Amino acid sequence: MQFFAPARGHSQSSAPDKPIPILSGTAGVLTSVTAGQTLLDTQINPVLLIPFGDRWLVESRGEFEGEFQRPPGGGPFGGPVNKHLDYLQADYIANPYVTITAGRFLTPFGIFNERLYPEWIRALQPDPLILPIATASSDGAMLRGGFPLSARANMNYAAYVSVASIGVNGVEAERQVGGRAGVFFPGPRLEVGASWQKALQDDRKNAIGFHLAWQPRAIPLSVHSEFARANQGSGYWIEGAYRLSQVNVWNKAMRRTEVVGRMQQFFSGDISPDAAASFGLPGANTREADFGINYFLKDGLKAVGSYGRQLSSAGNFNQWTVGIAYRFLIPLGRGDTP
Amino acid sequence: MKRGIVLAFVLGVALAAFAGSSNTKESSTTTPVARTAHADTMRALGEQRFRANCGRCHAAPEKFPPRAMATVLRHMRVRATITDEDMRLVLIYMTQ
Repeated sequence: MQFFAPARGHSQSSAPDKPIPILSGTAGVLTSVTAGQTLLDTQINPVLLIPFGDRWLVESRGEFEGEFQRPPGGGPFGGPVNKHLDYLQADYIANPYVTITAGRFLTPFGIFNERLYPEWIRALQPDPLILPIATASSDGAMLRGGFPLSARANMNYAAYVSVASIGVNGVEAERQVGGRAGVFFPGPRLEVGASWQKALQDDRKNAIGFHLAWQPRAIPLSVHSEFARANQGSGYWIEGAYRLSQVNVWNKAMRRTEVVGRMQQFFSGDISPDAAASFGLPGANTREADFGINYFLKDGLKAVGSYGRQLSSAGNFNQWTVGIAYRFLIPLGRGDTP
Repeated sequence: MKRGIVLAFVLGVALAAFAGSSNTKESSTTTPVARTAHADTMRALGEQRFRANCGRCHAAPEKFPPRAMATVLRHMRVRATITDEDMRLVLIYMTQ
């Protein structure tokens, strides 16, 4: 019962640092050439954070994405502007172990969807192939939190019930339960965890996933990996991002430079290629390797570039991406101590 | 089975809410750790916790105004499920 027991002094704010509403988010412009087809992708993801009192937070993120291409035969770029509400949730920090969330929220399956998705955070701009598996936004309630297991390990968890999931291509009335648990070891800076999701209707299908994040102390390397398996398919990705701060030449520029590599594979599941495409998944078994370079111009502003090669029975192609990503933060109130 | 899962979840929510609401008054008068005599140690610990937790996903941002940073940390506490203690120490590091 200690898990639910009240604890002393756990509320976050005190008078000097009383939180204020802020408008944050990411804006990015990316040009990609996939299989010879040029796409100009402009995206803005505003995040609105409104704290109430010591324990409440209302948070929301929207997505406005313009995907512009030249029409066949030439002409100016044109295309749709997609709008999407990623999450709109109320969080109540009940105690140091439990936060209660209600509303629409990012489904905690794996780590990419919740933690690495924003353009200014992700090391490679193309999504991992398995990202659509079990990551559609959920509408319902969730318990989540993190707490120390011992001096050498922290536990984090999330458990949710969703009454309707919003799929990649619209509303799919799907009820489901699921959760994610991870253990983080601060010493070696290693986190490992697992995710699970179960649909509550039809064939009551399951999805499972595993994730890993590791930042060794000795070198500025960041490794992330996920595995996911569901009826739509299965696959994995592993990515390493290395900051060149230990290179002794052109040190000022090298400190701002990051090189990235990612390897991934997707294995088709029990659905047709068309159904897979509607989920945003490849229609056939696929392998992909990506390499990229990021240059941090200043805090929150980085230039990105990558090259990838995708191999599958549906066809092989190259993918080039170049662009810029920016993170902004605007305090909606007096930011310093009153 | 399905009903059982839902009932267990609702029970968990109710218990957590009850536990949390019982000490609202007490926690609102808590003195921040940043005001203790160990401010330097707290800042060093905060930097350590920042590198261990926040560094898992992104590089260190510039330091925003304290009250804005308090909001960011509340957001990250929920999003990244960092512990209560880690959040407090990172907040000290990022604001002092």
